[in-house]
Amino acid sequence: MNTLRYYFGTAFKSIWMEKWINLLTILSICIGLSILCSFLLITFNIDSFMKRWTGNFGLVVYLDDNITYEETLNLETQFNKDRDILRVDYTSNVEAMDEIRISLGENAVIMDDFKENPLPSIFELQLVGELLNQKAARQKAESIKNISGVSDVQYGEKWLASLNTISDTMKMVAVFFATAIFISTIFTTYNTIKIFFYRRKEEIITLKLLGATNGFARLPFLIEGLFVGMVGGTLSSALVFTFSSLTSTRIVEFMPSLSVVLSPLPVQVYLIIPVIGASMSLLGSLIAVGKIRY
Amino acid sequence: MIKLSKVEKTYEDAVVLKNCSMVMDRGEFAFITGPSGAGKSTLLKLLYCSEQVDNGHISVDEWILNKLKKRTVPYFRRNIGVVFQDFKLLFNKSVFENVALTLRIHRMGAKEIMERVKSILKEVKLLHKSDIFPQYLSGGEQQRVVIARAMVSQPMLLLADEPTGNLDSDNARTIMRLFREINTKGTTVLIATHNEDLYYGSGRRVFFLNNNRIDKEIVG
Repeated sequence: MNTLRYYFGTAFKSIWMEKWINLLTILSICIGLSILCSFLLITFNIDSFMKRWTGNFGLVVYLDDNITYEETLNLETQFNKDRDILRVDYTSNVEAMDEIRISLGENAVIMDDFKENPLPSIFELQLVGELLNQKAARQKAESIKNISGVSDVQYGEKWLASLNTISDTMKMVAVFFATAIFISTIFTTYNTIKIFFYRRKEEIITLKLLGATNGFARLPFLIEGLFVGMVGGTLSSALVFTFSSLTSTRIVEFMPSLSVVLSPLPVQVYLIIPVIGASMSLLGSLIAVGKIRY
Repeated sequence: MIKLSKVEKTYEDAVVLKNCSMVMDRGEFAFITGPSGAGKSTLLKLLYCSEQVDNGHISVDEWILNKLKKRTVPYFRRNIGVVFQDFKLLFNKSVFENVALTLRIHRMGAKEIMERVKSILKEVKLLHKSDIFPQYLSGGEQQRVVIARAMVSQPMLLLADEPTGNLDSDNARTIMRLFREINTKGTTVLIATHNEDLYYGSGRRVFFLNNNRIDKEIVG
């Protein structure tokens, strides 16, 4: 307990003695993590907007002309039981013809030229969110196409591909950003701790000559790094939270309809940012104190 | 207590110790002397594992230093007290904290640290300067803080490298009196010095280091 108090006492004394360097380190970490946090916020909003948009995406299943009523009912039951399908809507060829006639209005007489109803009966299937990607949607369409009584299945393949490309690009950029910021956080703390370590080299040599283990000499530096990273992360969380709250309030005041679309980051993200800051900073400190020989 | 047998130590091309042997008993008070550059400090450094021996056998009590693993060195050092030539005091810590540091390394409790540090500071007559930082003390006082720090953990062996080198004769006498008191409590004391006044008439064994080895041994 007393040793633990010594570690923390030494670490916080050093934080105070080297307050300007520490403050700069905290600010660097804070800025880095704030950029990451802001990017996450934007990605999160675009993602939720796209999810809302693709919510209506579905497959259109065209049925054979000579399909019987029982076969149609069987198909409907099969689609309703399918866990990949959220909603099933059936439109018979008669209903489809009526809809066309209504939409054509006075020009509906042109439909009288057809001796038989040329329109097929269709099922409109809304898929679950996990299948809203090109590969899964194609596989589902292929499997439905093989069912007896189904003549064709269509879906917005190109549209879905574009959305997927946007989403994948955003994710790649996010990973790149996160990696770059993690590395810069590690490097910033690494440099700061290395400077402190060299400044206190004589002290460390003395400690070692008095019988201190490496752990005893290094732990205050690790606590210092951990603290600096945690403070940087907490400041960044607070900054982004305040900024996003103020901005979204302003945007909603200006365009109330956007209130449905704007999504705040989940609270867990704001809690995890200080942990990320502390972890990255601790890693930087570990590398710094581990590499120096004395 | 201390045993050196055919010890060799070389720095790059310069041979410092060669075929150097000596034996010291538990509870003994002895001196090592010799001209500047003879290897007195190196011999002490070998004894507190600041340097590694190239060849030969060197042991302190049960610890065989030429076979000691790096990770074991800190635990060995906790058994000895060292009075460094350059003091090695920490100027960002008070006198009390400097002395307490040894006990913190030993992971002692706060109450025991307080008692032991106060007691040793009283012995070296520096209790009234506990809260002062070392840079505000005289050379003699700084040396007494170093002795207090070396003694506070009650080590089995005390090594002192030129402990009176920068002190006037009054302060030197005080320091030597402290070493004698420490020795009477059972601690083995080995002092490296080139000051003849310290060992002549002391009645203690004096090892003469010359030509890279102990070439003479007298009673001072």
